[in-house]
Amino acid sequence: MKYLFGGVLALFLILYSVALLTRDHKEQPGITSIRWCTDANPARTVQIAAFTRLNPTIEVVLDPGARQKLIVQCATGTGPDVIDMFNREEMVDYVASGIVLDLTEIARAKGFATENTYPAVREALTVEGRQYRFPCNVGAYGVIYNRAIFDDHGVPYPDENWTYEQFVAAGRRILDTPSKSGEKHIPVANWNSRLFFLDLLVGNGGQFFQDHGTRSALDSPEAIEAMRMYHALMHEEHVLTTPAEASAMGSQGGWGAGGINWFSAERAAMIFIGRWYLCQAPGYPALKGKLGAARLPRIGNRASTGLCGARAAGINIKSRHRAEAVKFLQYLATSEYGELIVRDGDSLPPNPALAQTGNALTNAFVGDPAFHQIFIDAVNAGRVLDSSPFISPTQVMRWLDERIGLVENQRLTPEAAMRSLAKEVNETIRGSLERRPDLQRKYQKVTGNAYRSDWWK
Amino acid sequence: MKRARRGFLMRFALLSVLGMLISMPFFWMLSSSFKPRVEAENADILPEQPTVQNYPVVLDLKPDPSTRRFLGMRYGRWYFNTFFVAVGITFLQVLTSSMAAYAFSRMRWRGRDTVFILYLSTMMIPGVVTMIPNFQVMVWLGFVNTYHGLIIPAAFSAFGTFLLRQFMLSVPPALDEAAQIDGASHWQIFWEVIMPLARPGLIALAILTFLGSYQSFFWPLVMLNSQDLFSMPLGLLTLDSSYGRQTEMIMAAAAMATAPLIVIFVIFQKFVVKGLQLGGVKG
Repeated sequence: MKYLFGGVLALFLILYSVALLTRDHKEQPGITSIRWCTDANPARTVQIAAFTRLNPTIEVVLDPGARQKLIVQCATGTGPDVIDMFNREEMVDYVASGIVLDLTEIARAKGFATENTYPAVREALTVEGRQYRFPCNVGAYGVIYNRAIFDDHGVPYPDENWTYEQFVAAGRRILDTPSKSGEKHIPVANWNSRLFFLDLLVGNGGQFFQDHGTRSALDSPEAIEAMRMYHALMHEEHVLTTPAEASAMGSQGGWGAGGINWFSAERAAMIFIGRWYLCQAPGYPALKGKLGAARLPRIGNRASTGLCGARAAGINIKSRHRAEAVKFLQYLATSEYGELIVRDGDSLPPNPALAQTGNALTNAFVGDPAFHQIFIDAVNAGRVLDSSPFISPTQVMRWLDERIGLVENQRLTPEAAMRSLAKEVNETIRGSLERRPDLQRKYQKVTGNAYRSDWWK
Repeated sequence: MKRARRGFLMRFALLSVLGMLISMPFFWMLSSSFKPRVEAENADILPEQPTVQNYPVVLDLKPDPSTRRFLGMRYGRWYFNTFFVAVGITFLQVLTSSMAAYAFSRMRWRGRDTVFILYLSTMMIPGVVTMIPNFQVMVWLGFVNTYHGLIIPAAFSAFGTFLLRQFMLSVPPALDEAAQIDGASHWQIFWEVIMPLARPGLIALAILTFLGSYQSFFWPLVMLNSQDLFSMPLGLLTLDSSYGRQTEMIMAAAAMATAPLIVIFVIFQKFVVKGLQLGGVKG
């Protein structure tokens, strides 16, 4: 038995030595290593290589960490130097937890202030007027459609100014008109229920909060109507797949990112998505020449608008390589970086000068400038989701997801879902204000009124 | 006779259906690994146009045919890391658990049972609760982003100690007494008498530990920052990015990652079952 244990110990020690000797990441003198926490997108390797060419003394290590990892590491002061935040909610939470650095002054001095990117997205980079991140890319959704499927069903392509009713009618015709090929198609691929609903909400003039963020606006007529439209698209017009239908058709245990693959595999005619879809589209060569894009349909008399956002990077407040991390954010505002984004089709580059017209954005997969122009217009007309200083936006989103699920599965009516959501948000705001003196001070600051325990009456 | 045969057939049919249900996800994984991307979301079990190209792409021998870019996955390295860390953890955990089990089962000392219950009660604390304090300790020790940061914290196990203690309790005390009369020390009794008799328990623990550390995800995720230290489950994460989920590649990588576990399980299934019985029934 002793010999067996001795043998395994020897094997372990040999493997350990081999592992240490063959490590390819070794500290190099004169090179500072910074860690960039983002997704493990193959494009990141190219983006990092371009940065290293410009800054040969800084090495960027890609850390495809999850949110949980970030929380654990930041709680112990060992988090990554540069942190990608995929939406505003994430940023607000990180700011509240003291994880990310206030960049306002540094950004202004180094050329990556909010003024260096699209006006529509500026609010998504700040909390209470202070800048905490700078975009890696900027995007708003349009409708990408498959021309071949529209032709197959004899449905005209959407025009620039199409309305919600025309959108529903096009979906119905794809569903009801037999195709020349004999294939059946899904009118709209819903790959992310929350984002689809939020586009309807913003497009219908709805918002999350009112009265300086002290009350939810999710029970407003606009918000309820947006949820009703979402429900109707799924259960009355049948142009959007229900979760049950999606699970039956897809292999991924639900719709989710599977919806994108369904559109890519030419089973769906339309998808609400950003220009970043072009990063994936080359995976489906048969799509080349078939893609068209239209603005999100206008709802009522409103102009076409939707949610506008950015995947943006901030700096860990405890980063030991702050100067190098700042250089990395500076790089995001350069034309070298922006051109990579343009070429890959990864939404729009942070620097708007590189995306003045659709012509500037054409790439190998879609050469039609009109296609790309749609997304420039969408960003310029887009709106950032509002938030409240009195409640975590992530928490609100979690509750919203629950309500969307209940509506999708017909367990709550759209009105009941939105009213209960608004009630839950309002009660939480009230409770937090009651308990927390810091929020009471904030209340006074944002409303201009002294805090009273019956403020909400 | 007829009745017995009918009963056998019914049991056989039921177990066959259950077996098929259980193996369906595995079969689906395997079949999806041979699908081209355009078919990856199909619910069809068999690929229409089967291809083996996902495997060389995952192994970084060929670029992704659709993007014409290499995925940059270090599959071989991650395989090696997973195997080597699992060997280290298994070795240390079996060693420390058997020593602790010996102390708790064969030696008499004051407060032994209280200490054992206290040690055992640590199993009741969910891992997430102790995640941040444990990680902080790793930071203080300078173990973050190192192999030993993965191996040393997993080298001690209350479950392993409990499992082997139960096994050692079933060895008749007369054997140690006889050895003691012959002048053997505890060290000698442990290595020469108890350990050979506890072999089935040791093998069961070794297999359970190896399987557990082979598929461990959260602790390596938090501990590791450099991709050349990644284990297989972390490596698979890199196939899910904002560029989309490359389902067919994930399945090819998962199929290769699962293969050794299946071989180990098939060879040692008797011991695994024995181990589960010991841990689950004897209290």
